[in-house]
Amino acid sequence: MKLLTKYNRVNLITTVIVMLITGIIYYQAISYILTGQKDKDLVVEEQEVFDYVKLNHELPQTFESNDQQITFTPARPGSVQREFINTEYFEKDEGHKRHKAGGEYESGRGLISSVTVGNKYYKILIIVSKVETEDLIRIIFSITVGVILLLLLVLLIINRLILNRLWQPFYNIMNELRLFNIADTHEIPKLKSSIDEFNELNHTVVEMAAKAKLDYHDLKTFTENASHELLTPIAVINSKLDTLIQTENFSDRQSKLLNDLYGAVSRLNRLNQSLLLLVKIENRLVHDKQQINLRELVDEMIIQFEEIFNDKDLKVTYRLADKEIYASRYLAEILLSNLISNAIRHNQRGGEIIINLDAESLTIQNTGDNEALPDEKIFTRFHKSSGSEGSGLGLTISRQICENFGFTLEYQFESDYHIFTVSFN
Amino acid sequence: MKILIVEDEEGLRESIEEYFTEAGNICETANSYQNALSKVSLYRYDCILLDITLPGGNGLDILKSLKDNNHPDGVLIISAKNSLDDRLEGLNIGADDYLVKPFHLSELKARVTAIIRRKSYNGSNLLVFNEITIDLLAKEIKVGTTPVKLTRKEYALLLYFIANKGKVVSKNAIAEHLWGDGIDMANNFDFIYSHIKNIRKKLMEAGCNDYIQAAYGMGYKFTA
Repeated sequence: MKLLTKYNRVNLITTVIVMLITGIIYYQAISYILTGQKDKDLVVEEQEVFDYVKLNHELPQTFESNDQQITFTPARPGSVQREFINTEYFEKDEGHKRHKAGGEYESGRGLISSVTVGNKYYKILIIVSKVETEDLIRIIFSITVGVILLLLLVLLIINRLILNRLWQPFYNIMNELRLFNIADTHEIPKLKSSIDEFNELNHTVVEMAAKAKLDYHDLKTFTENASHELLTPIAVINSKLDTLIQTENFSDRQSKLLNDLYGAVSRLNRLNQSLLLLVKIENRLVHDKQQINLRELVDEMIIQFEEIFNDKDLKVTYRLADKEIYASRYLAEILLSNLISNAIRHNQRGGEIIINLDAESLTIQNTGDNEALPDEKIFTRFHKSSGSEGSGLGLTISRQICENFGFTLEYQFESDYHIFTVSFN
Repeated sequence: MKILIVEDEEGLRESIEEYFTEAGNICETANSYQNALSKVSLYRYDCILLDITLPGGNGLDILKSLKDNNHPDGVLIISAKNSLDDRLEGLNIGADDYLVKPFHLSELKARVTAIIRRKSYNGSNLLVFNEITIDLLAKEIKVGTTPVKLTRKEYALLLYFIANKGKVVSKNAIAEHLWGDGIDMANNFDFIYSHIKNIRKKLMEAGCNDYIQAAYGMGYKFTA
């Protein structure tokens, strides 16, 4: 749920509840006051009856006045308790009124009292109409509801218009964070907002990004320097080995040991070269962009690998269409060489390699272990299948090169073929 | 031939010197920028092996001074910097070739031999080794008068062997020479064996001596 929605919801619910409570309190207060007013009128009327009885020793004439009715009924002495009641007031029909025959019931307020005239005991019932009070309350209630609705509407509009604009800096920062790439040079811009929190957030984000970039850069520099420093000792080992084998007379055991040493040194060397290359690609330090006919390059590669295909009895089929790309030839060669040598290395004797090149994509598929590789893992650094003699960086480098070119590299396993697809988009 | 090895790493310098020292070769060494500069200003060499990062200066400056003085010495840059920009800069200034550390001594020898051949056999494209004659331009091989048809790789391999005659060349070095160091076939060098077998067969069928010997399962030796 968006913060805005959540905020709106809480805000609106609170407003409605508060307005309703206010309405109820208002209603209660006004009815209390108005009922009190009516009760006073009733008491005044009662007093008038008492005064009349005291003076004349008889009941006053009952008469109909507007909004007031008095009735006297004989009762057993002492049976009447004085009390105020809510009752109904019967408004006599005056020709233009409608409803029930002869009149209409309205809500009323009544006072029950008693009076003794001579030796007769009477119950007095005085009723006044409350219709005006109710009208008043109805009006007040309507106004309250109206105000609630108006307030809701205004709040909604304000939230829509103003809050959206208020939060804009936040969304800008989010957007910048989404675009943030530790490897490129784009900096998160400083933005000015009138809101302290956003300024602080932006400030923190900018600082954090700069720090991350610095650390990343340090790490890369370290990798590069370390690899560079390793080159010289490897070169020395290599040259000493080359010199050592010139001294004659080796036993079988010695030559086996030397062979193993050679193998290990060349692996160490390749690993080191791969790390250097990776840093270079990530730093975008390869600048020899040119127009390349990919078809010719693949052709060359196939010729280059011909003996190795033959040696492993691999059946190679290819269908190549012309495809021009504008990219570094050096990297393109490494990409192809990596993908093809993978297809050879992980193949079985007598297996098959199929290379397809068209305007959209280059696919290299090969037979091999009858089991799909873990899709994303294979592109991570130093992921190797067991028994692989590779550096574990080949596919990482290949993917980096593809990213550098704006291509995508993907893996699928389909009907016994491992398929690597470079999509040119 | 006369060769100057400019390299500050002692172990490497000694190995190169030892590998290149043979009958008819004179090797001199320099271990710093100053040392190298004074040598190249006094003497001429057929080929200078030049490290770029030297104590006291940049190897490229030595190359510049050579070119400014119109000295004809062949120059091969050996550097730990495998950056395309460096390579291009070196070649632009006038280096003949560029080799990245680490390398096999046999590869270095083949490159140096090629540079010297280009420099000294002006106009002539023929490389003669006993009864084998190689036309470097047409890439044709004759044993005596019999032409021998070699594939591209077999041809490259034969040249490599002749440049390193009398030396044991490791299978690793051969693989890297023929397929580049990008290739990662790790210790599976069976395919080299079949190449060698083919070359021997083709040469011997044309009446050539058998010069190629296997050396203790580590590599091969082209015996003169």
